[in-house]
Amino acid sequence: PRRRCPNPTMASPPPPSGAGGPEPPLQYSLLLQHLVGEQRRPRAWDPAALGGIPSPPKSEEQKVVERAMESCAFKAALACVGGFVLGGAFGVFTAGIDTNVGFDPKDPYRTPTAKEVLKDMGQRGISYAKNFAIVGAMFSCTECMVESYRGKSDWKNSVISGCITGGAIGFRAGLKAGVIGCGGFAAFSAAIDYYLR
Amino acid sequence: MDPVRAQQLAAELEVDMMADMYNRMTQACHRKCVPPHYKEPELSKGESVCLDRCVAKYLEVHERMGKKLTELSLQDEELLKRVQQGSG
Repeated sequence: PRRRCPNPTMASPPPPSGAGGPEPPLQYSLLLQHLVGEQRRPRAWDPAALGGIPSPPKSEEQKVVERAMESCAFKAALACVGGFVLGGAFGVFTAGIDTNVGFDPKDPYRTPTAKEVLKDMGQRGISYAKNFAIVGAMFSCTECMVESYRGKSDWKNSVISGCITGGAIGFRAGLKAGVIGCGGFAAFSAAIDYYLR
Repeated sequence: MDPVRAQQLAAELEVDMMADMYNRMTQACHRKCVPPHYKEPELSKGESVCLDRCVAKYLEVHERMGKKLTELSLQDEELLKRVQQGSG
């Protein structure tokens, strides 16, 4: 019901009938129209004047750069590059400890030349690098999107995005592989998250 | 009451009103969006998104309430005028 509180304008005294020059009563509706209604003039508010901590205003470029650096695309690109570098290092390292590098099927007993070994290591490094880059970019992108959607930052974000990423990767090999990938990757990212927090 | 006087009064009151609204909004959105786990000093993506949404909603609520209050105030004044004309 509209009338839960007593009418405020009824509480003000009735307009004086005599002369004199007393102040005319407040007309709330007119005041409110200037305060919060149609006739309010737009103003530029400074947080320092309102009670906040005074700080120099950010320039437009600074705002644009900050927005770009916080965006999901930038984070995904960063994860992609990082994944590429890490994958390359990992690939080269595993090729280094692998005895089958440079293996020639036509002549199994021949010792491979240094050039062949290096070429094989490079190929394996590139292949690992690409895989890591794609996985990293996907994970980072989905995590950023999930976090933007939920509006919170806790452990559930990495679990959900781990499941999505693992599921997407494994889904190409069938539904069951997708489910296993989802569970595995989610558990992995939960463990990393627990370790990091 | 003439509009110029009303505008002056409104300008004075507006500063108070905005300061109060800003403080309340800061408090409410901080309580809602920033959980008390201070592991890192910077706002995470989820927290900044939440704060944007909280501020937008708060300001919209403020605007709508203001318009509704102005409407109610107009209706009350018309009623009062009619009562006074009826009795006078």
